[in-house]
Amino acid sequence: MFFMSKPLTMRNSAAVRVEHVTQRFRVIHERPDSMRELFTNLFRKTVEYHEFEAVNDLSLEVPPGQVLGLIGRNGSGKSTLLKIIAGVYKPTSGSVHVAGKLAPLIELGAGFHHELTGRENILLNGLLMGYSRQEMQERTQRIIEFADIGEFIDAPIKQYSSGMHTRLAFAVATEVDPDILIIDEILSVGDIAFQQKCFDRIETFRRAGKTILFVSHAMRQIVEHCDRVVMLEKGSIVVDGDPQEVTEVYSNLLTPVLAPVQ
Amino acid sequence: MIELVQSIYRYRELIWALAAKELKVRYKRSVLGFLWALLNPALMMVVLTVVFSTILRFPIHHYAIFLLSVLLPWTFFSQSLSYAVESIVSNGDLIKKVSVPKLVFPVAAVVSNVVNLLLSLIPLAVLVVLMRHPFHWTWLYLPVPIVALVIFTLGVSLWFAAANVYYRDIAHIIQILLSAWFYFTPIIYALDFIPANLRWLFKLNPIIYVINGFRLSVYYGMLPRWSSIVASFICALTALLIGFWFFRKHQDDFVFYV
Repeated sequence: MFFMSKPLTMRNSAAVRVEHVTQRFRVIHERPDSMRELFTNLFRKTVEYHEFEAVNDLSLEVPPGQVLGLIGRNGSGKSTLLKIIAGVYKPTSGSVHVAGKLAPLIELGAGFHHELTGRENILLNGLLMGYSRQEMQERTQRIIEFADIGEFIDAPIKQYSSGMHTRLAFAVATEVDPDILIIDEILSVGDIAFQQKCFDRIETFRRAGKTILFVSHAMRQIVEHCDRVVMLEKGSIVVDGDPQEVTEVYSNLLTPVLAPVQ
Repeated sequence: MIELVQSIYRYRELIWALAAKELKVRYKRSVLGFLWALLNPALMMVVLTVVFSTILRFPIHHYAIFLLSVLLPWTFFSQSLSYAVESIVSNGDLIKKVSVPKLVFPVAAVVSNVVNLLLSLIPLAVLVVLMRHPFHWTWLYLPVPIVALVIFTLGVSLWFAAANVYYRDIAHIIQILLSAWFYFTPIIYALDFIPANLRWLFKLNPIIYVINGFRLSVYYGMLPRWSSIVASFICALTALLIGFWFFRKHQDDFVFYV
Protein backbone atom coordinates (compact mmCIF):
# COMPACT_ATOMS: atom_id res chain seq x y z
CA MET A 1 0.00 0.00 0.00
CA PHE A 2 2.79 2.35 0.95
CA PHE A 3 4.79 1.52 -2.14
CA MET A 4 1.78 1.56 -4.37
CA SER A 5 0.90 5.09 -3.52
CA LYS A 6 4.46 6.33 -3.85
CA PRO A 7 5.95 4.99 -7.06
CA LEU A 8 8.68 7.62 -7.00
CA THR A 9 10.16 6.33 -3.79
CA MET A 10 10.90 3.03 -5.45
CA ARG A 11 13.25 4.59 -7.93
CA ASN A 12 14.62 7.08 -5.48
CA SER A 13 14.87 4.56 -2.71
CA ALA A 14 15.31 6.77 0.36
CA ALA A 15 12.35 8.09 2.32
CA VAL A 16 14.48 10.90 3.65
CA ARG A 17 17.72 11.95 2.02
CA VAL A 18 19.87 14.67 3.51
CA GLU A 19 22.83 15.70 1.39
CA HIS A 20 25.70 17.79 2.72
CA VAL A 21 23.44 19.95 4.78
CA THR A 22 24.89 22.81 6.76
CA GLN A 23 22.83 25.09 8.94
CA ARG A 24 24.72 28.14 10.00
CA PHE A 25 23.28 30.34 12.69
CA ARG A 26 24.44 33.83 13.26
CA VAL A 27 24.38 34.72 16.90
CA ILE A 28 24.33 38.47 17.06
CA HIS A 29 25.50 39.60 20.42
CA GLU A 30 23.52 42.76 20.25
CA ARG A 31 21.01 42.38 17.54
CA PRO A 32 19.51 45.63 16.36
CA ASP A 33 15.99 44.85 17.39
CA SER A 34 14.74 48.30 16.68
CA MET A 35 15.70 51.09 14.38
CA ARG A 36 17.19 53.06 17.23
CA GLU A 37 19.68 50.30 17.77
CA LEU A 38 20.23 50.04 14.06
CA PHE A 39 21.10 53.71 13.91
CA THR A 40 23.44 53.57 16.87
CA ASN A 41 25.05 50.54 15.32
CA LEU A 42 25.48 52.44 12.09
CA PHE A 43 27.64 54.88 13.93
CA ARG A 44 29.56 52.11 15.56
CA LYS A 45 29.79 50.50 12.13
CA THR A 46 30.02 47.02 13.53
CA VAL A 47 27.48 44.47 14.50
CA GLU A 48 29.10 41.94 16.72
CA TYR A 49 28.19 38.39 16.06
CA HIS A 50 29.63 34.96 15.84
CA GLU A 51 28.55 32.16 13.59
CA PHE A 52 28.24 28.54 14.39
CA GLU A 53 27.14 25.52 12.47
CA ALA A 54 24.31 23.77 14.26
CA VAL A 55 24.45 21.14 11.54
CA ASN A 56 27.71 20.75 9.71
CA ASP A 57 27.95 19.14 6.27
CA LEU A 58 25.71 16.31 7.32
CA SER A 59 24.52 13.57 5.00
CA LEU A 60 22.00 10.95 5.95
CA GLU A 61 19.81 8.51 4.12
CA VAL A 62 16.82 6.84 5.70
CA PRO A 63 15.24 4.00 3.72
CA PRO A 64 11.46 3.66 3.78
CA GLY A 65 10.18 1.73 6.75
CA GLN A 66 13.16 2.36 8.96
CA VAL A 67 12.82 3.62 12.53
CA LEU A 68 15.81 5.82 13.04
CA GLY A 69 16.83 7.07 16.47
CA LEU A 70 18.77 10.29 16.86
CA ILE A 71 20.76 10.76 20.01
CA GLY A 72 23.34 13.24 21.20
CA ARG A 73 23.95 15.80 23.86
CA ASN A 74 22.02 19.04 24.16
CA GLY A 75 23.06 21.35 21.36
CA SER A 76 24.41 18.56 19.19
CA GLY A 77 22.04 19.50 16.39
CA LYS A 78 19.31 16.88 16.66
CA SER A 79 16.39 19.26 16.76
CA THR A 80 17.87 21.52 14.10
CA LEU A 81 18.28 18.53 11.82
CA LEU A 82 14.68 17.50 12.37
CA LYS A 83 13.49 21.02 11.68
CA ILE A 84 15.45 21.08 8.44
CA ILE A 85 13.91 17.78 7.39
CA ALA A 86 10.46 19.06 8.38
CA GLY A 87 11.02 22.14 6.23
CA VAL A 88 10.93 24.66 9.05
CA TYR A 89 14.47 25.81 8.34
CA LYS A 90 15.85 26.25 4.90
CA PRO A 91 19.43 25.01 5.24
CA THR A 92 22.32 27.36 4.56
CA SER A 93 23.66 24.83 2.06
CA GLY A 94 22.93 21.30 0.98
CA SER A 95 19.64 19.69 0.09
CA VAL A 96 16.89 17.63 1.64
CA HIS A 97 14.55 15.25 -0.15
CA VAL A 98 11.53 13.84 1.55
CA ALA A 99 9.45 11.22 -0.25
CA GLY A 100 5.88 11.24 1.01
CA LYS A 101 3.76 13.02 3.50
CA LEU A 102 5.58 14.09 6.61
CA ALA A 103 4.06 14.61 10.03
CA PRO A 104 6.30 16.50 12.41
CA LEU A 105 5.66 15.92 16.08
CA ILE A 106 8.27 18.47 16.97
CA GLU A 107 6.33 20.64 19.27
CA LEU A 108 2.86 19.36 19.70
CA GLY A 109 0.01 21.72 19.26
CA ALA A 110 2.10 24.54 17.85
CA GLY A 111 -0.79 25.66 15.70
CA PHE A 112 -3.42 25.51 18.39
CA HIS A 113 -5.27 28.65 19.14
CA HIS A 114 -6.35 28.84 22.74
CA GLU A 115 -9.66 30.63 22.10
CA LEU A 116 -10.90 27.99 19.69
CA THR A 117 -12.44 24.70 20.75
CA GLY A 118 -10.66 21.39 20.41
CA ARG A 119 -12.83 20.52 17.45
CA GLU A 120 -12.08 23.80 15.67
CA ASN A 121 -8.40 23.37 16.39
CA ILE A 122 -8.37 19.92 14.84
CA LEU A 123 -9.40 21.41 11.53
CA LEU A 124 -7.07 24.40 11.74
CA ASN A 125 -4.12 22.26 12.77
CA GLY A 126 -4.73 19.78 9.98
CA LEU A 127 -4.90 22.58 7.43
CA LEU A 128 -1.66 24.01 8.79
CA MET A 129 -0.02 20.64 8.30
CA GLY A 130 -1.11 20.70 4.69
CA TYR A 131 -4.16 18.46 4.71
CA SER A 132 -7.39 19.42 3.03
CA ARG A 133 -10.60 20.31 4.80
CA GLN A 134 -12.24 17.18 3.48
CA GLU A 135 -9.44 14.92 4.68
CA MET A 136 -9.69 16.47 8.10
CA GLN A 137 -13.45 16.17 8.29
CA GLU A 138 -13.21 12.47 7.53
CA ARG A 139 -10.72 12.02 10.34
CA THR A 140 -12.13 14.27 13.00
CA GLN A 141 -14.15 11.53 14.65
CA ARG A 142 -11.19 9.18 14.92
CA ILE A 143 -8.99 11.96 16.25
CA ILE A 144 -11.53 12.73 18.94
CA GLU A 145 -11.73 9.07 19.88
CA PHE A 146 -7.99 8.69 20.13
CA ALA A 147 -7.51 11.88 22.13
CA ASP A 148 -10.21 10.66 24.49
CA ILE A 149 -10.77 13.92 26.33
CA GLY A 150 -14.53 13.61 26.61
CA GLU A 151 -16.68 16.70 26.47
CA PHE A 152 -13.70 18.99 26.55
CA ILE A 153 -13.50 18.60 22.80
CA ASP A 154 -16.05 21.40 22.46
CA ALA A 155 -14.45 23.67 25.03
CA PRO A 156 -11.86 26.30 24.16
CA ILE A 157 -8.47 24.70 24.60
CA LYS A 158 -7.28 27.34 27.01
CA GLN A 159 -9.28 25.35 29.55
CA TYR A 160 -7.35 22.16 28.83
CA SER A 161 -4.80 20.65 31.13
CA SER A 162 -1.39 20.22 29.53
CA GLY A 163 -2.00 16.50 29.31
CA MET A 164 -5.24 17.00 27.40
CA HIS A 165 -3.47 19.43 25.15
CA THR A 166 -0.83 16.83 24.33
CA ARG A 167 -3.39 14.10 23.78
CA LEU A 168 -5.26 16.14 21.26
CA ALA A 169 -2.12 17.31 19.50
CA PHE A 170 -0.72 13.80 19.26
CA ALA A 171 -4.02 12.54 17.95
CA VAL A 172 -4.18 15.21 15.25
CA ALA A 173 -0.59 14.67 14.20
CA THR A 174 -0.78 10.91 13.89
CA GLU A 175 -4.34 10.26 12.78
CA VAL A 176 -3.65 11.93 9.46
CA ASP A 177 -1.81 8.94 8.01
CA PRO A 178 1.65 10.32 7.29
CA ASP A 179 4.36 8.37 5.45
CA ILE A 180 7.09 9.81 7.61
CA LEU A 181 6.76 10.62 11.27
CA ILE A 182 9.18 12.89 13.08
CA ILE A 183 9.13 12.65 16.85
CA ASP A 184 11.17 15.03 18.97
CA GLU A 185 11.11 14.21 22.68
CA ILE A 186 7.44 14.78 22.98
CA LEU A 187 6.40 11.56 24.57
CA SER A 188 7.53 12.51 28.05
CA VAL A 189 4.22 14.25 28.67
CA GLY A 190 0.86 12.67 29.29
CA ASP A 191 0.11 9.94 31.79
CA ILE A 192 1.49 6.44 31.53
CA ALA A 193 -1.63 5.04 29.90
CA PHE A 194 -1.47 7.66 27.19
CA GLN A 195 2.27 7.19 26.70
CA GLN A 196 1.62 3.52 26.18
CA LYS A 197 -1.08 4.39 23.67
CA CYS A 198 1.39 6.58 21.82
CA PHE A 199 4.02 3.87 21.69
CA ASP A 200 1.41 1.41 20.50
CA ARG A 201 0.61 3.80 17.74
CA ILE A 202 4.25 4.19 16.82
CA GLU A 203 4.51 0.40 16.66
CA THR A 204 1.48 0.33 14.38
CA PHE A 205 3.17 2.83 12.12
CA ARG A 206 6.31 0.77 12.18
CA ARG A 207 4.47 -2.37 11.20
CA ALA A 208 2.70 -0.48 8.44
CA GLY A 209 6.12 0.23 6.97
CA LYS A 210 6.25 3.93 7.75
CA THR A 211 9.48 5.76 8.24
CA ILE A 212 10.04 7.22 11.69
CA LEU A 213 12.68 9.64 12.90
CA PHE A 214 12.85 9.60 16.63
CA VAL A 215 14.73 11.84 19.06
CA SER A 216 14.85 10.85 22.68
CA HIS A 217 17.10 11.01 25.68
CA ALA A 218 15.56 7.84 27.05
CA MET A 219 17.95 5.15 25.85
CA ARG A 220 15.52 2.41 26.78
CA GLN A 221 12.93 3.82 24.35
CA ILE A 222 15.59 4.15 21.67
CA VAL A 223 16.78 0.56 21.97
CA GLU A 224 13.24 -0.72 22.16
CA HIS A 225 11.84 1.03 19.11
CA CYS A 226 14.66 1.81 16.68
CA ASP A 227 16.18 -0.20 13.86
CA ARG A 228 19.17 2.07 13.60
CA VAL A 229 20.63 4.83 15.71
CA VAL A 230 22.69 7.85 14.73
CA MET A 231 24.64 9.81 17.27
CA LEU A 232 25.27 13.49 16.63
CA GLU A 233 28.01 15.63 18.08
CA LYS A 234 28.59 19.27 17.13
CA GLY A 235 26.30 18.99 14.15
CA SER A 236 27.92 15.93 12.59
CA ILE A 237 27.23 12.23 12.69
CA VAL A 238 29.86 10.53 14.84
CA VAL A 239 28.41 7.04 15.18
CA ASP A 240 25.83 5.32 13.02
CA GLY A 241 24.65 1.79 13.48
CA ASP A 242 23.03 -0.79 15.72
CA PRO A 243 20.87 0.72 18.51
CA GLN A 244 22.52 -1.32 21.27
CA GLU A 245 26.04 -0.38 20.25
CA VAL A 246 25.44 3.27 19.56
CA THR A 247 23.58 3.86 22.80
CA GLU A 248 26.50 2.23 24.63
CA VAL A 249 28.96 4.58 22.96
CA TYR A 250 26.74 7.44 23.99
CA SER A 251 26.49 6.27 27.59
CA ASN A 252 30.27 5.89 27.76
CA LEU A 253 30.70 9.35 26.37
CA LEU A 254 28.53 10.76 29.10
CA THR A 255 30.06 8.75 31.93
CA PRO A 256 33.21 10.88 32.43
CA VAL A 257 30.99 13.91 32.74
CA LEU A 258 28.86 12.18 35.31
CA ALA A 259 31.78 10.83 37.35
CA PRO A 260 34.64 13.29 37.12
CA VAL A 261 36.12 12.51 40.54
CA GLN A 262 38.43 9.50 40.66
CA MET B 1 2.71 36.91 -9.95
CA ILE B 2 1.22 33.69 -11.25
CA GLU B 3 3.02 32.01 -8.40
CA LEU B 4 1.21 34.25 -5.94
CA VAL B 5 -2.20 33.41 -7.38
CA GLN B 6 -1.31 29.73 -7.41
CA SER B 7 -0.22 29.64 -3.82
CA ILE B 8 -3.25 31.60 -2.67
CA TYR B 9 -5.42 29.11 -4.51
CA ARG B 10 -3.50 26.15 -3.16
CA TYR B 11 -3.79 27.31 0.42
CA ARG B 12 -7.28 28.75 0.07
CA GLU B 13 -8.73 26.45 2.72
CA LEU B 14 -6.03 27.32 5.20
CA ILE B 15 -6.32 31.04 4.45
CA TRP B 16 -10.05 30.87 4.88
CA ALA B 17 -9.75 28.93 8.13
CA LEU B 18 -7.27 31.47 9.50
CA ALA B 19 -9.48 34.36 8.45
CA ALA B 20 -12.49 32.67 10.03
CA LYS B 21 -10.45 32.12 13.19
CA GLU B 22 -9.56 35.80 13.20
CA LEU B 23 -13.23 36.78 12.98
CA LYS B 24 -14.35 34.14 15.46
CA VAL B 25 -11.77 35.17 18.02
CA ARG B 26 -12.62 38.82 17.54
CA TYR B 27 -16.28 38.33 18.32
CA LYS B 28 -16.03 35.44 20.71
CA ARG B 29 -17.35 35.99 24.20
CA SER B 30 -19.37 39.01 23.17
CA VAL B 31 -23.10 38.60 23.61
CA LEU B 32 -23.96 39.79 20.12
CA GLY B 33 -21.12 37.89 18.53
CA PHE B 34 -20.82 38.22 14.82
CA LEU B 35 -23.55 40.86 14.74
CA TRP B 36 -20.87 43.32 15.80
CA ALA B 37 -19.44 43.15 12.32
CA LEU B 38 -22.67 44.82 11.21
CA LEU B 39 -23.34 46.88 14.29
CA ASN B 40 -19.93 48.45 14.45
CA PRO B 41 -20.11 50.31 11.15
CA ALA B 42 -23.82 50.98 11.71
CA LEU B 43 -23.21 52.66 15.05
CA MET B 44 -20.27 54.57 13.66
CA MET B 45 -22.57 55.80 10.92
CA VAL B 46 -25.15 56.95 13.41
CA VAL B 47 -22.52 58.98 15.25
CA LEU B 48 -21.12 60.49 12.08
CA THR B 49 -24.55 61.27 10.72
CA VAL B 50 -25.60 63.01 13.91
CA VAL B 51 -22.37 64.98 14.13
CA PHE B 52 -22.34 66.10 10.53
CA SER B 53 -26.01 66.88 10.15
CA THR B 54 -26.39 68.87 13.36
CA ILE B 55 -23.10 70.09 14.78
CA LEU B 56 -20.65 70.30 11.91
CA ARG B 57 -22.57 71.34 8.87
CA PHE B 58 -20.50 71.04 5.73
CA PRO B 59 -21.77 72.60 2.53
CA ILE B 60 -22.04 69.09 1.10
CA HIS B 61 -25.40 67.49 0.65
CA HIS B 62 -25.80 64.28 2.69
CA TYR B 63 -22.29 64.61 3.97
CA ALA B 64 -22.51 61.37 5.98
CA ILE B 65 -22.91 59.37 2.79
CA PHE B 66 -20.28 61.43 1.06
CA LEU B 67 -17.90 60.57 3.88
CA LEU B 68 -18.86 56.96 4.51
CA SER B 69 -18.67 55.97 0.86
CA VAL B 70 -14.90 56.30 1.14
CA LEU B 71 -14.41 55.94 4.87
CA LEU B 72 -15.53 52.31 4.76
CA PRO B 73 -12.98 51.28 2.14
CA TRP B 74 -10.36 53.30 3.97
CA THR B 75 -11.19 51.53 7.23
CA PHE B 76 -10.77 48.25 5.41
CA PHE B 77 -7.37 49.35 4.15
CA SER B 78 -6.08 50.60 7.48
CA GLN B 79 -7.49 47.69 9.50
CA SER B 80 -6.08 45.11 7.12
CA LEU B 81 -2.71 46.76 7.25
CA SER B 82 -2.69 46.98 11.04
CA TYR B 83 -3.56 43.30 11.29
CA ALA B 84 -1.25 42.12 8.55
CA VAL B 85 1.80 44.02 9.72
CA GLU B 86 1.91 41.94 12.90
CA SER B 87 0.76 38.72 11.26
CA ILE B 88 4.18 37.13 10.72
CA VAL B 89 5.61 38.16 14.06
CA SER B 90 2.56 37.11 16.05
CA ASN B 91 2.58 33.71 14.38
CA GLY B 92 6.29 33.39 15.07
CA ASP B 93 5.88 30.42 17.37
CA LEU B 94 4.08 28.55 14.67
CA ILE B 95 6.56 29.49 11.96
CA LYS B 96 9.38 28.21 14.16
CA LYS B 97 7.76 24.84 14.62
CA VAL B 98 5.78 23.93 11.55
CA SER B 99 6.65 24.20 7.91
CA VAL B 100 3.88 26.48 6.77
CA PRO B 101 3.67 28.90 3.85
CA LYS B 102 4.29 32.29 5.47
CA LEU B 103 2.13 34.00 2.89
CA VAL B 104 -1.08 32.70 4.40
CA PHE B 105 -0.87 34.94 7.47
CA PRO B 106 -0.97 38.40 5.87
CA VAL B 107 -3.40 37.12 3.23
CA ALA B 108 -5.73 35.79 5.93
CA ALA B 109 -5.54 39.13 7.75
CA VAL B 110 -6.69 40.91 4.60
CA VAL B 111 -9.38 38.31 3.84
CA SER B 112 -10.92 38.59 7.29
CA ASN B 113 -11.24 42.32 6.74
CA VAL B 114 -12.77 41.84 3.32
CA VAL B 115 -15.62 40.11 5.12
CA ASN B 116 -15.99 43.14 7.35
CA LEU B 117 -15.91 45.52 4.40
CA LEU B 118 -18.62 43.63 2.57
CA LEU B 119 -20.78 43.47 5.68
CA SER B 120 -20.34 47.18 6.31
CA LEU B 121 -21.88 47.93 2.93
CA ILE B 122 -25.20 46.67 4.24
CA PRO B 123 -25.68 49.40 6.88
CA LEU B 124 -24.42 51.91 4.31
CA ALA B 125 -27.18 50.87 1.94
CA VAL B 126 -29.68 51.18 4.77
CA LEU B 127 -28.41 54.66 5.54
CA VAL B 128 -28.71 55.69 1.90
CA VAL B 129 -32.35 54.65 1.95
CA LEU B 130 -33.07 56.27 5.32
CA MET B 131 -31.54 59.59 4.29
CA ARG B 132 -33.51 59.45 1.04
CA HIS B 133 -30.31 59.71 -0.92
CA PRO B 134 -30.83 58.34 -4.43
CA PHE B 135 -29.88 54.69 -4.58
CA HIS B 136 -27.82 54.73 -7.73
CA TRP B 137 -27.53 51.82 -10.14
CA THR B 138 -23.78 52.46 -10.05
CA TRP B 139 -23.64 50.46 -6.81
CA LEU B 140 -23.36 47.55 -9.21
CA TYR B 141 -19.98 48.91 -10.23
CA LEU B 142 -18.62 48.50 -6.65
CA PRO B 143 -17.02 45.06 -7.22
CA VAL B 144 -14.47 46.75 -9.51
CA PRO B 145 -13.02 49.18 -6.95
CA ILE B 146 -13.31 46.49 -4.27
CA VAL B 147 -11.11 44.15 -6.30
CA ALA B 148 -8.59 46.92 -6.97
CA LEU B 149 -8.58 47.91 -3.31
CA VAL B 150 -8.05 44.35 -2.11
CA ILE B 151 -5.12 43.89 -4.51
CA PHE B 152 -3.60 47.17 -3.40
CA THR B 153 -4.09 46.36 0.28
CA LEU B 154 -2.59 42.91 -0.15
CA GLY B 155 0.53 44.32 -1.76
CA VAL B 156 1.08 46.96 0.91
CA SER B 157 0.33 44.41 3.65
CA LEU B 158 2.85 41.89 2.32
CA TRP B 159 5.56 44.52 2.24
CA PHE B 160 4.95 45.79 5.74
CA ALA B 161 4.44 42.33 7.23
CA ALA B 162 7.85 41.28 5.92
CA ALA B 163 9.57 44.50 6.95
CA ASN B 164 8.14 44.26 10.46
CA VAL B 165 9.93 40.95 10.97
CA TYR B 166 13.25 42.75 10.79
CA TYR B 167 12.32 46.03 12.43
CA ARG B 168 9.49 45.92 14.91
CA ASP B 169 9.30 49.71 14.77
CA ILE B 170 7.37 49.31 11.53
CA ALA B 171 4.23 48.35 13.45
CA HIS B 172 4.38 51.67 15.33
CA ILE B 173 5.36 53.75 12.34
CA ILE B 174 2.48 52.37 10.36
CA GLN B 175 -0.10 53.91 12.70
CA ILE B 176 1.36 57.36 12.21
CA LEU B 177 1.79 56.77 8.52
CA LEU B 178 -1.84 55.72 8.25
CA SER B 179 -3.17 58.78 10.01
CA ALA B 180 -1.05 61.10 7.86
CA TRP B 181 -2.14 59.21 4.79
CA PHE B 182 -5.75 59.53 5.89
CA TYR B 183 -5.61 63.33 5.99
CA PHE B 184 -3.74 63.61 2.72
CA THR B 185 -6.34 61.52 0.96
CA PRO B 186 -9.64 63.13 -0.05
CA ILE B 187 -11.78 61.24 2.46
CA ILE B 188 -13.27 63.86 4.75
CA TYR B 189 -13.05 66.40 1.94
CA ALA B 190 -13.31 66.36 -1.84
CA LEU B 191 -10.38 66.79 -4.15
CA ASP B 192 -12.02 70.03 -5.38
CA PHE B 193 -11.20 71.63 -2.02
CA ILE B 194 -7.52 71.46 -2.85
CA PRO B 195 -6.11 74.49 -4.68
CA ALA B 196 -5.71 73.64 -8.34
CA ASN B 197 -1.96 74.19 -8.31
CA LEU B 198 -1.50 71.57 -5.60
CA ARG B 199 -3.79 68.93 -7.03
CA TRP B 200 -1.05 67.19 -8.99
CA LEU B 201 0.59 66.40 -5.66
CA PHE B 202 -2.52 64.60 -4.46
CA LYS B 203 -2.70 62.66 -7.67
CA LEU B 204 0.56 60.97 -6.75
CA ASN B 205 -1.29 59.28 -3.90
CA PRO B 206 -1.74 55.70 -5.15
CA ILE B 207 -4.93 55.03 -3.21
CA ILE B 208 -6.82 58.07 -4.48
CA TYR B 209 -7.98 56.43 -7.74
CA VAL B 210 -9.60 53.44 -6.15
CA ILE B 211 -11.13 55.57 -3.38
CA ASN B 212 -12.55 57.81 -6.06
CA GLY B 213 -14.37 54.85 -7.60
CA PHE B 214 -16.23 54.20 -4.36
CA ARG B 215 -17.35 57.78 -3.91
CA LEU B 216 -18.42 58.27 -7.50
CA SER B 217 -20.55 55.18 -7.61
CA VAL B 218 -22.16 55.40 -4.18
CA TYR B 219 -22.53 59.15 -3.68
CA TYR B 220 -22.60 60.73 -7.12
CA GLY B 221 -24.09 57.85 -9.09
CA MET B 222 -21.40 58.14 -11.70
CA LEU B 223 -18.73 55.86 -13.08
CA PRO B 224 -15.10 56.92 -12.98
CA ARG B 225 -13.31 57.78 -16.20
CA TRP B 226 -11.47 54.95 -17.92
CA SER B 227 -8.15 56.58 -17.19
CA SER B 228 -8.97 56.62 -13.49
CA ILE B 229 -9.98 52.94 -13.48
CA VAL B 230 -6.81 51.98 -15.29
CA ALA B 231 -4.75 54.10 -12.89
CA SER B 232 -6.35 52.38 -9.90
CA PHE B 233 -5.40 48.95 -11.22
CA ILE B 234 -1.90 50.03 -12.17
CA CYS B 235 -1.36 51.27 -8.62
CA ALA B 236 -2.86 48.10 -7.16
CA LEU B 237 -0.84 45.70 -9.28
CA THR B 238 2.37 47.67 -8.75
CA ALA B 239 1.83 47.52 -5.00
CA LEU B 240 1.20 43.79 -5.19
CA LEU B 241 4.26 43.15 -7.35
CA ILE B 242 6.58 45.08 -5.05
CA GLY B 243 5.01 43.65 -1.91
CA PHE B 244 5.08 40.07 -3.09
CA TRP B 245 8.61 40.36 -4.49
CA PHE B 246 9.88 41.71 -1.19
CA PHE B 247 7.98 39.15 0.85
CA ARG B 248 9.13 36.22 -1.25
CA LYS B 249 12.72 37.35 -1.17
CA HIS B 250 12.77 37.28 2.62
CA GLN B 251 10.24 34.64 3.63
CA ASP B 252 12.77 31.85 4.19
CA ASP B 253 14.62 34.08 6.65
CA PHE B 254 11.60 34.96 8.79
CA VAL B 255 12.05 31.88 10.93
CA PHE B 256 15.41 33.19 12.16
CA TYR B 257 14.07 36.57 13.18
CA VAL B 258 10.62 36.00 14.66
